[in-house]
Amino acid sequence: MADTSVEDLKQQFHAALDAARTPAALKALRDDYLGRKHGRVTALVKSIATAPPEDRRTLGAAANTLKQQIEQALKAREAGVAADARPADALDVTLPGRRGWTGRRHPLTQVRERVEDIFMAMGYQVIEGPEVEDDWHNFEALNMPAAHPARDMQDTLYLSSPVPAPDDGRAATLLRTHTSGMQIRYMEQHEPPVRIIAPGRVYRRDNFDATHTPMFTQVEGLVVDEDITLGDLKGTLNAFAEEFFDARVATRFRPSFFPYTEPSAELDVECQGCSGRGCPLCKQTGWIEILGCGMVHPAVFEAVGYDPDRYTGFAFGVGIERLALRLYGVDDIRMFYENDLRFLEQVAL
Amino acid sequence: MKASTSWMREFADLPASADVNEVAARIADVGFEVAGIEGEVIDFEITANRPDCLSVRGLAREAAVAFGVSGVERPEAPGSGRPDVPGPDVPVTIESELCGRYALAFADVTVGPSPDWLADRLASAGVRPINNVVDVTNYVLLEMGQPMHAFDLARLAGPEIRVRLARAGESLTTLDRQARTLEGSMLVIADRDRAVAVAGVMGGAASEVSASTQRIALESAWFQPATVRATSKRLGLKTEASARFERGADPAAAVAALSRALGLLEEMGAGHRVGRVVDVYPSPQTPRAVTLLRPHLDRLLGDQVPDQDVTRILAGLGFVTDAAAGSDGWHVEVPTWRVDVSREADLIEEVGRHWGINRVPATFPALRAAPHRSDSGVLRGRRIRRVLCGAGLQEAVTFTFMESAAAAPFAADSDSLVTIANPLSEKFAVLRPSLLPGLLDALIYNRRRDITDVRLFEVGAVFSVRGEGHRVGWVLTGARHGHWSDPHTEVDLFDALGVGDLLAEAFGLAWRSEPTEDTAWFVPGRAAALRAGNGTRDDRVGTAGQILPGLLVGRGLPAGVTVVGGEINVDALRAAAKTERRVTPLPRHPAVLRDLSILIDAGLPAASVRGTIRANAPATLVDVREFDRYQGKGVPDGRVSLSLRLTFQDRDRTLTDAEIQQALEAIVGALSGTHGATLRGN
Ligand SMILES: [Zn+2]
Repeated sequence: MADTSVEDLKQQFHAALDAARTPAALKALRDDYLGRKHGRVTALVKSIATAPPEDRRTLGAAANTLKQQIEQALKAREAGVAADARPADALDVTLPGRRGWTGRRHPLTQVRERVEDIFMAMGYQVIEGPEVEDDWHNFEALNMPAAHPARDMQDTLYLSSPVPAPDDGRAATLLRTHTSGMQIRYMEQHEPPVRIIAPGRVYRRDNFDATHTPMFTQVEGLVVDEDITLGDLKGTLNAFAEEFFDARVATRFRPSFFPYTEPSAELDVECQGCSGRGCPLCKQTGWIEILGCGMVHPAVFEAVGYDPDRYTGFAFGVGIERLALRLYGVDDIRMFYENDLRFLEQVAL
Repeated sequence: MKASTSWMREFADLPASADVNEVAARIADVGFEVAGIEGEVIDFEITANRPDCLSVRGLAREAAVAFGVSGVERPEAPGSGRPDVPGPDVPVTIESELCGRYALAFADVTVGPSPDWLADRLASAGVRPINNVVDVTNYVLLEMGQPMHAFDLARLAGPEIRVRLARAGESLTTLDRQARTLEGSMLVIADRDRAVAVAGVMGGAASEVSASTQRIALESAWFQPATVRATSKRLGLKTEASARFERGADPAAAVAALSRALGLLEEMGAGHRVGRVVDVYPSPQTPRAVTLLRPHLDRLLGDQVPDQDVTRILAGLGFVTDAAAGSDGWHVEVPTWRVDVSREADLIEEVGRHWGINRVPATFPALRAAPHRSDSGVLRGRRIRRVLCGAGLQEAVTFTFMESAAAAPFAADSDSLVTIANPLSEKFAVLRPSLLPGLLDALIYNRRRDITDVRLFEVGAVFSVRGEGHRVGWVLTGARHGHWSDPHTEVDLFDALGVGDLLAEAFGLAWRSEPTEDTAWFVPGRAAALRAGNGTRDDRVGTAGQILPGLLVGRGLPAGVTVVGGEINVDALRAAAKTERRVTPLPRHPAVLRDLSILIDAGLPAASVRGTIRANAPATLVDVREFDRYQGKGVPDGRVSLSLRLTFQDRDRTLTDAEIQQALEAIVGALSGTHGATLRGN
């Protein structure tokens, strides 16, 4: 019966210990069990004197063990509670945390990769090629022989002296005015079907102002196979516009002229700024021109050794800066080349 | 090309209800972009392939087909003339095949101002009225697209006309009062003695029509496009005439244009034709014949345009169509003014643009073969950006060309720079030999706007006379951590080295850094060559270091700012790149770590210490890493305390204390013997 009371006391203590989570509660618990005058364990020890002589020894040992256990448990809890107590030097949580540096891809890269991703998902291969080009790949093979008036459409920057080319030995004499040269190279080396896009920097001898830079970024695409139609071109570019602008945008095709496509067209999308009603952004037309396109000119196929009676194809070229201006609401193309961090850090991580 | 709707209506039966906006929109729909509308005048942008639409008649023809109405064909009459007055005898000789046709007519004129209606039409098209004779030539140019020129016959020596190449050093003062020195490749119109006009470009001042002119010789000719283009470019002289000739005028229109001009002069009471028209046309051009096959039309457009629409469109544009015998299609005769149409695809375009590309149903091409993997360079670029953005560097895009002075310090030698023959300005004179100069300019741009912490990288092409290469470059300046708790620690060489290390890791490249002296743009003693491979060949893949302060100050950065940077040849990364790496199973037995602090000479490279340790350790040493380097109190002058953590590991068993101890003793002994290193503290 004395054993029972030791056991009871132990259980009661642990229940109380669980609830004691502050220094004050622990002090009260200590007094309640181990206090010199009214402590419950102290009382138990005192009661041994009145127990039957044959029980005193066992009871004494049990009471002592209990006292030590309680003492230990209290000490451990007291240490824990002290460690968890409010430190003297509280920190100012309103100061900024340590986040490390963040870097972003350049907005032109973000737009270019977005265009690449859309076409990669449609099964296109992304190819790259040299920025200094030879006359054949930049002009002649694209149905622009010397003295062709269309060469004036792309005022060219020429090198003072030729630079060796890595691949086919034709020395580079100019800065490419478009990435079409890569398409010629690809066709020279591969048989149809062809489904590629060629992104990269291109150069024109253009003034440097809010809407022109002598260097800009293009993504050109090319599809060649048997029975490729103008309808296929439309379906592909409509799908691209919808995916890029993330909306069901209205599109329209306007006939145009490029020496390497026939028929040629320009693709307009409904102005996002005014939903087609007309605003300064679209010069009140309701439409924004985003790319040039067309069916590959048979002379281009002849230049690369494809049979124009067997194969047809389409090609298109997107100006990345133009898309980026729309996407970010920027009105001066030069901002993309100033690398002002106050601008670059506004785009998505 | 500016054209008024009322002028166009003279040649196309456009519906009365169509206002200027509708006319503009319909013509725009078939490929002539509208740059502006003012009153009833529409300003069209004419693409380079359509010189025939640098004329009111050409645009009216397009408008008629676009509206589905008929065109107005008007035969030109040269007026009744003055049969009673004998004409002059002016021999015309063509001495160069660059002139395909030369026609000359004569008229007695009373030079004076033009009537208002004609002056107004010219003004609406942006042409300044001068006098009735010159105005009539300009009127015909605008209406028919055929350039003409009027000479004062009295001022032509002979009088005779010779179309010939200029003599070397021959000079001519053109109508704009500029004295021009001609070259032997330029085609001129000459009288008996000298050049009187630059063919197809501009007439000469000496034979100009003036108030006193009584008899004129009116020229209407055809010149080869390439020669007019080259001459106009060479002289820096673009005119209404050269714009049309260089794209291709209609050789058949020459005499009709003369008739129209003579008729106008008579109608205005400004003059009368005298004598006969001289027409030298050695090989008259015959219209081209092109076959258009129905299956080809359907295949390219992906739509079926009905037969009657095909013939309506082509006929309306001046093509003569005949059902092709024995095949499904048409024989088409191309009008001489359509210099852009020479093959079947050109005809399909004509049908397509007037049928309406927007009407063609959109389809999606079938993918008939598995797509190829994209070029490795594309994927590599993406990986570099991912790694460096993750490391807190901002991507920059800088110009490929720059001023020579900015590029030169970064070139192997100044002869290796690639220069541009026709740069826009000195600021864009050479192609960059390195990504660093552009990045540094961008860094300085930000510093000058009080942005002190700048961390930029770029991936792109660099150029030398040996060819094009691809690199990734980076520059860093300002605080290392960018946090208020440590505002004063600035980036140093090791931040730049670390970026290189990250890239090497990303491409699975084993590499090392070594001191280098051949990077003129880095501070000596703070420049590293980054090497991959075994060192037996030129295995340098990049460099890193602290940028020379003098260079930075020269580009506009205030003195006292530390900038570090580096550059790696990514073509080397491409060669070495293992994008997927197999993992090795984790060891079952614990590793043993031992720290070693030694005193060595301050000038001894860490790489040497590492090398000695590795050379004298058992194979169970799997990693050596510096974790502290200390100079100062407690370390003798000229010495440095270097602490290294050595990791021992065996895949198959647990290492014993005794063998670790033995290995350490061997290492310490070797360090002491080789480098005079002493154990520190202990
Ligand atoms: Zn708008």
